[in-house]
Amino acid sequence: MTERTGDPPDVERLLVSFAPRVYGLLLRMVGRPDVAEDLMQETLLRALRSMGTYRPEGKFRAWIFRIAVNLARDWIRGQPRRRTVPLGDEADETAPGVTPAADAPPDADAVSRERARDVDRALARLPNADREVLLMRYYGDLTFKAIAQATDEPLGTVLARAHRALKKLGDLIPRQNHEPLP
Amino acid sequence: MNRCPDRTQWVLFAAGETSPRCRRALQRHLESCQACRREVEAVERGLAALETLDREPAVRPQALDTLRKRLSVASARRVVRRGVLARIYPYRWAAAAAVIIAVALGYALVPSPTPPPGVPAGTRTAWMDETQFVDEIAEISAEIELLERGALATLWESGNGSNGTAAESINGESRLPSNGLGIEGGVPG
Repeated sequence: MTERTGDPPDVERLLVSFAPRVYGLLLRMVGRPDVAEDLMQETLLRALRSMGTYRPEGKFRAWIFRIAVNLARDWIRGQPRRRTVPLGDEADETAPGVTPAADAPPDADAVSRERARDVDRALARLPNADREVLLMRYYGDLTFKAIAQATDEPLGTVLARAHRALKKLGDLIPRQNHEPLP
Repeated sequence: MNRCPDRTQWVLFAAGETSPRCRRALQRHLESCQACRREVEAVERGLAALETLDREPAVRPQALDTLRKRLSVASARRVVRRGVLARIYPYRWAAAAAVIIAVALGYALVPSPTPPPGVPAGTRTAWMDETQFVDEIAEISAEIELLERGALATLWESGNGSNGTAAESINGESRLPSNGLGIEGGVPG
């Protein structure tokens, strides 16, 4: 799908196609499905309304996720406690976003769910700024350079946050049978 | 590459975001550096952990319906606004000139909000000009003088009357001088 379309219906379809990923990022940031839903709608509406301020030199996806992150930050700032609730601990396990990866084989559901819960707990313990980098990378499918551009932060800062967060995540998660990259 | 690269380089390496040339150099370093290998492994483990999350969690259908409706409404408003602006745009200078003329006319024609008493609304004339004011003061002064003379004459007459007592003013002080004549420079006819 092309990312730069002019007709309103195309724009609407494009924005709706971002909904699951934006929702996933927001869910991991705010820890509440109802709030994540509201913020997801607000993000995409704002994107539509502010379409005129979008700079074509930047990635459209990065721009959308920046709006989402800003809205989530505002919401978190307005809360009395800043701790993000790990989804596996307090949220309903049948709630959207808590389910394991869709491509996981059925017999691996339990393991996958348990692992996803561990990751959620580990993510919830990370500082907000570190978590944001990882979530933008994962849900936005953005490079670290694109994240740095979208958040107006130096690439070195973004990489330092990612390094810190990934190491913590790697330490907290039990060793898995992953193949090292070539 | 003998010296260990900055640790953040391993994030780019593990994420596959380095240039081919840089990647080859880093790989050569890894072959001889145990510490950096551990570093890369830790970062890779973190990335692998992230992959266990559902990348596209299901959004409730009701929420998606609401989103579609809201987007549709916002989109329609945007189109209307764009249309109105596009229609106005060619006449923007005429519109600006019309606004300026309207303001100028408004300033010139609208009467002052609180006209002075006795002056009909809608007129911008002063309540009284300077000459009128001086004449008015002179007239009032003349009237007061006449009244005073009349009063003094009455007093004079009453002072020379039956009881022979000096008349007193309202506040009890004698208005007449001690010589009993009461008037310096004569009493008018």
